[in-house]
Amino acid sequence: MLPLLLLCWPAQHAQAQIDSDLQLFGSMQTVFFHQESRIDTEIPSTGTRNSGTETRNTFALQQMDLFFRKEIGDELTAFVDLEFQLNYSSEKQWGSMSIQEAWLNYHISDAANLKLGLLFPSFNHLNEIKNRLALLPYLFRPLVYERLLSEKFYTEDFIPEHAFVQFHGALPAGNWFVDYAAYAGNAEASYVSRNTPSGGIETDLNPNFEFLGGVDPSNLKLKLFGGRIGMRSRDEMFKFGISVTHDYNNLRDSTRYPSHILSGPARRILGSDAERFRIGSDLSGRYKAFWFELEGIKVIYDYDPAERFDVELEQSFFSGVLGYDITSEITTYGSLQYGDYTFGLDSDYFVYTFGGAWRVNESVTAKAQFIAYDEQFNDVPGDNLNLISQQVTITFVFLGFSILL
Amino acid sequence: MKTTVSIIIAFLFICTSAQLRAQSDETSLFGSLQLIFFNQKSHMMFTQVPPGENPQLNEERSSFAIQQMDLFLQKHIGEDFTAFVDLEYQLNYSSEHRWGSFSIQEAWLHYALSDEFGFKIGMLYPAFNNLNEIKNRLALLPYIFRPGIYERLLSRLFLSEDYLPERAFVQLHGGIPLGEVFFDYAVYTGNAEGSYISHPDENGAPVNDHNSNFEFITGVDPTEFNLKLFGGRIGIRARDEQFKAGVSLTHDYDNLRDTTRYPQIYEGPRAPLRGDARRMRLGGDVSGRVGPVRFEAEAIKVFYDYDAAERIGVDLDLDFFYAMAGYSFTDALFVYGSYEGGSAVFGERWTHRTVTGGAAYQINDFVTAKAQYIVYKQFLDESLHIDEATIRFVFLGLSLVL
Amino acid sequence: MNTTLRIGLFLTLLVCASHTMEAQTAVIVNRSVPASSMGLKELLDIYTLNKAHWDDGSRITVFDLKRGKTKEAFYEYIDMSEEDLQRIWLRKQFTGKARPPRSISNEEELIDMVSRTPGAIGYVTERNIPKKSNVRIVARVKQR
Repeated sequence: MLPLLLLCWPAQHAQAQIDSDLQLFGSMQTVFFHQESRIDTEIPSTGTRNSGTETRNTFALQQMDLFFRKEIGDELTAFVDLEFQLNYSSEKQWGSMSIQEAWLNYHISDAANLKLGLLFPSFNHLNEIKNRLALLPYLFRPLVYERLLSEKFYTEDFIPEHAFVQFHGALPAGNWFVDYAAYAGNAEASYVSRNTPSGGIETDLNPNFEFLGGVDPSNLKLKLFGGRIGMRSRDEMFKFGISVTHDYNNLRDSTRYPSHILSGPARRILGSDAERFRIGSDLSGRYKAFWFELEGIKVIYDYDPAERFDVELEQSFFSGVLGYDITSEITTYGSLQYGDYTFGLDSDYFVYTFGGAWRVNESVTAKAQFIAYDEQFNDVPGDNLNLISQQVTITFVFLGFSILL
Repeated sequence: MKTTVSIIIAFLFICTSAQLRAQSDETSLFGSLQLIFFNQKSHMMFTQVPPGENPQLNEERSSFAIQQMDLFLQKHIGEDFTAFVDLEYQLNYSSEHRWGSFSIQEAWLHYALSDEFGFKIGMLYPAFNNLNEIKNRLALLPYIFRPGIYERLLSRLFLSEDYLPERAFVQLHGGIPLGEVFFDYAVYTGNAEGSYISHPDENGAPVNDHNSNFEFITGVDPTEFNLKLFGGRIGIRARDEQFKAGVSLTHDYDNLRDTTRYPQIYEGPRAPLRGDARRMRLGGDVSGRVGPVRFEAEAIKVFYDYDAAERIGVDLDLDFFYAMAGYSFTDALFVYGSYEGGSAVFGERWTHRTVTGGAAYQINDFVTAKAQYIVYKQFLDESLHIDEATIRFVFLGLSLVL
Repeated sequence: MNTTLRIGLFLTLLVCASHTMEAQTAVIVNRSVPASSMGLKELLDIYTLNKAHWDDGSRITVFDLKRGKTKEAFYEYIDMSEEDLQRIWLRKQFTGKARPPRSISNEEELIDMVSRTPGAIGYVTERNIPKKSNVRIVARVKQR
């Protein structure tokens, strides 16, 4: 009987290969959106009123990301995120293509990691995953994170877009982790030297020795420093934290601050570096079928010229989302966002959205979202410096598919 | 004894474990690359030149180039879904030197309800004639230089989008078996033509030819539904794929306010043409194999329905045709000749004719050597001070499957 | 009854008895793993990809089953739903922090993969573990 028993033993298999291959994966989100826009302008001093409307419908490949990840031994992990936006074509000058992240992480322990390279720093809840559309139920993200609007909303005023060195980890504490991160990076993007259409290099600082595009010409003082501390439940159901950054805002950048939209006093404070602090807080979690995400950002300046000319530079942004999982495949949500402008402008904007996402299978999610954006400007200097009031209302209906590659 | 054997067999059966393979939905990465060397000799003859100036212009050039490289990603998702991406690089692409181009050509999700019914959503090449869906799959084509309107190197010269629907975003399609053939059908819709899409001005601000007031991103279509692309194709295809024929039709609008594409055309007497011109493209294709002989032919007629043009007596219609016949001397060696022609108007009936001859030699499963000789002639009726242009090309190339 | 027949009947009864025993789910690791037992918190941290390295610094390779009662029992034990874990894994994968667990169709193959992969962990029905395999049991799932 012994040979009989021996026959039942599993056959010998070849030694398993150690997996150090380059992992390639990605995501893409294709959308159709309908947009209706309206602008109403009034000059109170003359009683003049004007209106403009526009309607459009468009298909678009909203975003596609290709990720590369490689485990190098036990301690090192490399990661790259190539991002394409809006039907990218260099020939037709549509959309954009960029490296969003490219870093090496050195794992000292679960409580201590060092990340080096181009990275999304840890700020509030969404900053690290702001372009991971496959992870989000939205088609259109909270305004300061919506990369489609990064030029209009000067995203970098509110969030630190990139850093280059981050020390981070998670310390177990009972049923929780204490998350921490501290990072540093270049000064904000408007300082970074750029290529001109004629082939030259330009920078707002000292162009005398400028021969490269894409590098930061500022000294250490203007660089980004920041961090986040928070707590996260062990089952990842609840998370909160506080984030702080210190850097400078480039107030020389005349493309961002065209003088015709600034108040008279505001024009006087342009031309220098304004010390900036961002304070963020986040709270997110799940309870049974409900889920929620809340973020607040306050941007504070310490800038003598602004104080001298009594120009308010502070900005605020708040976003709250409440969602409900109708089934394990279908979720629905509503959100409210608020923000304000600055530079002596009296203006606020509100965004109301609601939407749903249906996970068709593990790689395909269908999404729908309605967005109403409402913005009110008062006392904006118009032509001939007459003060005008302006209201802008834009509604969007988005339909889309998110696909994991 | 018999009982003993039965029990032993039962025991062995219990001990045996089935060997099963794990399923994997990994994303597959593959691609193609075409390297070329070409020699170009151009000759232009002018009928009206200022006194003392040479009525002829000649030029010769030779160039190496990475003509095109495509990276494809494909992922099968379950039984019914497939995702596909095509990233295309052209002409030694470099953002620093501003050479060539890099773009997403396709990025779609396909849902196959059955072989007779498929649904594709995302950026896609719509089904139009024979070549449109594979126009950039150089590894599949014997050509180095494609028929004029499909040759992406010439997309600005030939204004390809006047002749072809370059991309769509939603397509329903399938092949219905009918005896010895399939009945192929496709219907699709997409954005208005590329010139409507918002793009950056010289300062980098997004603009479009319609209403830039609310423009804050590039790459999106600012038009309403009536200007969008709608189209389709019906055809038959032999079950053994040896023969295929079809008819294609599209409806969209041509952006005639686009002064960057037609800087001189909309001045003076043609200024009234500025606007949106309703356009219909009608295509016919036939292709197949008979033994070692292979043939392809396509014709495209572009009709305009535009009051502004009729009022000032300008004929906007366009046409194009090509025919190719080739012979496979061996499994590896294919030799072909082709003839193509067409006309473009806007009140100036200029015509063009192209004769090509070439060969493709498949060295192995991944490498094909190609050679092609092209003579292109262009004639103008009215004077833009160029009456006749002749360009001769000799192309040598290698096509690689990655 | 002759001797051969008696042995055969005994063996058959033994096999049948093993099928009627309660299907205990066990957590197994490759014998290279420097752990002889594991608590619930540690298992949760591993399967939520919060713990990516063993105490000796080597990487943890996590295996998961595609479906089945063993998977349900294990998920119930760590008190996580499949949807919640998928969401967590996707976030960790798309931020580059971790590779999601490798999903295996059946327990025999999972045992084989764990036995051949240094640093690997998985879960299976205990009775399916061959006696002389390169795996070690570090936890048994207690039924809630």
